[in-house]
Amino acid sequence: MHIFSRRLLVIAVCAIVFSAAAAAQCPARPAIGTVVQDALSLYSQNGVLNAAFDLGYSVDTTGYTHYCYQYHTSAGLVESPTLRLNPGDQLVLSVKDSIPTGGPSAMSGMDMSSMPGTTCGDGGNATLQSTNVHFHGLNVPPICHQDDILDTLIQPGSPPFQFNIQIPTTEPPGLYWYHPHVHGFTEFQVNGGAAGALIVEGMEKYRPEVTGLTERVFVIRQQFLVPWVPGPYELTLNYQTVPPPHTPFPVIQMKAGERQFWRVANASLQDFIPLQLWAMGGVPQPMELIALDGYPLAAPRYETTILIPPAGRAEFITPAFSLNAGPQFATLAYSTGPTGNPDSEFLLAGIELTTAGNPKAPAPTSSHAAPQSLSALKFAGLKDATVTGTRKLYFSEEFGGTNGPIQFYITVDGQRQQVFQPNEKPAIITKVGAVEDWTIENHALETHDFHIHQIHFMMLEVNGKPVPNDLRDTIEIPYWSGTGPYPSVKVRMDFRDPTIAGTFVFHCHILLHEDLGMMHKIQVLP
Amino acid sequence: MHASGRPRLSLAAAILVWACVASGFAQSTSQPHYLITNDDGVFGNSVTFYTIGANGGLTLTSQVQTAGLGIGGGFFSTNRISLLNSTGNECVYAADAATGDIIGIDVTTLAVGGSASGSTTDSGATNGIGLAMNGRYLYASYTASNTIGTFQVQPGCSLSFVNDTPVVGLQAGFIAGMAIHGNLLVVTYGDGSIESFNIASGPPVSNNDEQNSTGYTQSLGVAYPNGVEITKDGRYAIFGDTSTSTVVEVSDISAGSLTTTVVYTLGTAVSASNITLSPDETLLYISNTQGDKVTAAFFNEYTGKVSMGCASGSLRGVSSKWSYLASLALDTNAGTGGTIYVAEFGAPSYIGMVSVSSSAGKCTLREFPSSPLSAANSSGLLSIGTFPPRSF
Repeated sequence: MHIFSRRLLVIAVCAIVFSAAAAAQCPARPAIGTVVQDALSLYSQNGVLNAAFDLGYSVDTTGYTHYCYQYHTSAGLVESPTLRLNPGDQLVLSVKDSIPTGGPSAMSGMDMSSMPGTTCGDGGNATLQSTNVHFHGLNVPPICHQDDILDTLIQPGSPPFQFNIQIPTTEPPGLYWYHPHVHGFTEFQVNGGAAGALIVEGMEKYRPEVTGLTERVFVIRQQFLVPWVPGPYELTLNYQTVPPPHTPFPVIQMKAGERQFWRVANASLQDFIPLQLWAMGGVPQPMELIALDGYPLAAPRYETTILIPPAGRAEFITPAFSLNAGPQFATLAYSTGPTGNPDSEFLLAGIELTTAGNPKAPAPTSSHAAPQSLSALKFAGLKDATVTGTRKLYFSEEFGGTNGPIQFYITVDGQRQQVFQPNEKPAIITKVGAVEDWTIENHALETHDFHIHQIHFMMLEVNGKPVPNDLRDTIEIPYWSGTGPYPSVKVRMDFRDPTIAGTFVFHCHILLHEDLGMMHKIQVLP
Repeated sequence: MHASGRPRLSLAAAILVWACVASGFAQSTSQPHYLITNDDGVFGNSVTFYTIGANGGLTLTSQVQTAGLGIGGGFFSTNRISLLNSTGNECVYAADAATGDIIGIDVTTLAVGGSASGSTTDSGATNGIGLAMNGRYLYASYTASNTIGTFQVQPGCSLSFVNDTPVVGLQAGFIAGMAIHGNLLVVTYGDGSIESFNIASGPPVSNNDEQNSTGYTQSLGVAYPNGVEITKDGRYAIFGDTSTSTVVEVSDISAGSLTTTVVYTLGTAVSASNITLSPDETLLYISNTQGDKVTAAFFNEYTGKVSMGCASGSLRGVSSKWSYLASLALDTNAGTGGTIYVAEFGAPSYIGMVSVSSSAGKCTLREFPSSPLSAANSSGLLSIGTFPPRSF
């Protein structure tokens, strides 16, 4: 639910004032109705991908705030490049916070230090202008300079902070993404566009169906004029605004008769996206689903609608369209329940079929890979692993009024419902080697979006019924209707990998909910 | 025996008539019977009067512009309607949350009698201005400035401002619900804390009993008292909690101040921010504000105990027409209150209508086939009331 309380209102007003005062830093975004281009790809070389980002800030002419990962090239600034690494590669990413100071830095500061001595980076208070980076979906350690969001804080004007991450050799190939994750303020920076794709190469080794296909990477973002204040929103496709009906919409070029490999990330704040590809007359066409959340499916399957929850990813092969098919790329409306925000239908892009395709599109993937078994990847054998424990968690909400106060909870059954506090003790303590089945219920009249850092989980059941055993890192849990059993998902959590030992978080990936405390810590003991 | 029995019968009849008059049950044919909404209009607020028919049905009768502005939302329990049923002074008071004024409307003529504002610092622009009154004074809860404004009731549905009383919850919460019995004003702060005030002299004076409710402090649940009711005899204060299930709490206030609350968890329907007692005090109606139901709990007026009674089904139009349930109002001032009306917050909003039947320890709540009724004048309906009001 998109609501604001007194505190949020203050933040929002400060943000507006700050917006008006800030100088433009971010590159211009694509004009509406133009051809959609993929982000610049940065490839690892000799096993290392070395890159430097500046997190900048500006306000566009229509009043939308932009937070941008700026990457400097010889041709000028580009925004949020796609990071491409192979399993076993090293990512050395330096991030400088260049958000102008002088804004609402003092407001609602939140002490992020969980325990004395655990500060990573600059420390201090979390504010609208401080940042860090979460590498969403990567199965890497939750420690400083890797994927730690609990203690890492980069303050504006400080020297660049360096992330140094070894991609595991068994990391599943697929689409991941990176974004800020400062508790209490994540929504603002992601709303401004601070999000990009990260690809672990090698999908064709496991899913040879994609071999030789032209690959496209699409990142769907969402922007409100001011996050946390109710109002209409826009979606963008690779930073191009998806406009209202009857105006020029983004154009995706592809060859007639060609099948392409599309990798789509939902980097929105809260929009559940049921994707469809339409032929003439809005008839949905089957898409060959290859991977979800960066993990190849055990076997491809055809879907006419692929639901991607906020923070989820889907990789699929498009159908081939004939020249006169008039195809379109769309997201359907989605009901998030009585107290949830309505997610609207959008025509994301028209597909322009040509004989040449898009000359700027990335080259087709290599065609000489041999199929490999998924058993070489992380989480292999999870289905048959011995389950060492079970837990039940549930989402719930309280509204004191239409504008709040509001409390968003994710609770381990038997514990007190409470919102996340940076200095809280872990709600769950387990140990390396554990394999646990979790049932996650939704007691709220609003759909929630469960995400856990550091690992993928295996889907077992939805509402008590078996489902394909896909590996996910983010999953929607539909709203409760007010009667009958609570909607639920049952998943298998895999804590066997010793490299993920440490403390990390699980939360709702509707970012407002996470910012307001629908999150807790889990500690995996060595 | 016969001779001595007659006077008793006559006395009983007299008591019955007195009770009926006092409770408003003996609604004179000259007295209008309205459901009244504070429309909370952002671009121009109004108060809408619906005539209540014999079967509980509603007919839109009049829309009275307040000349102020609403905010189209706010705290569930901050009821912006208060009703005065005094001979020669039959008034509806309504608050304009954005502009901070309170107007009085003469129920017999539907003309605006007067308007008053609090101090320059009083504001309810974020979550509304709640109203409660005792015939002599009207109290306004300004949710943004966290003040209680005291107004003296004047003839002709007018008010005169007396002063402000600053308040705050134990967790820095903002004033939300208010209820009055005699010289006692009980308030909630939406943060788990509650407090009572002595209003014998008009402006509230704290009884120094501010405390966190048991529902707030207990180990597993989380509950924040929001709405508040006081029994007819002033013995119990009942709190409807914002909660993830249906939670109400009861405090014995017979000594003139709050005592530790007793918690009653009644079911899984979400939240209980608005409550109202039936005229006969046998049922406590609960608006499952964040859910889609109305719940009725059995209430024991002698012990203050609450037990689960029944819940309606999912009220029609949830999600498609409206998002939240809010305040409750009852058709009649006798028995279990006849039809239950519930504000359904949406843009535009609706009014849900539910019938109740209760006997032998069982009850049933059923939505009218014609429910909900469009409240097209309101783009954020939270506050409703019925005239003549309940006597307590």
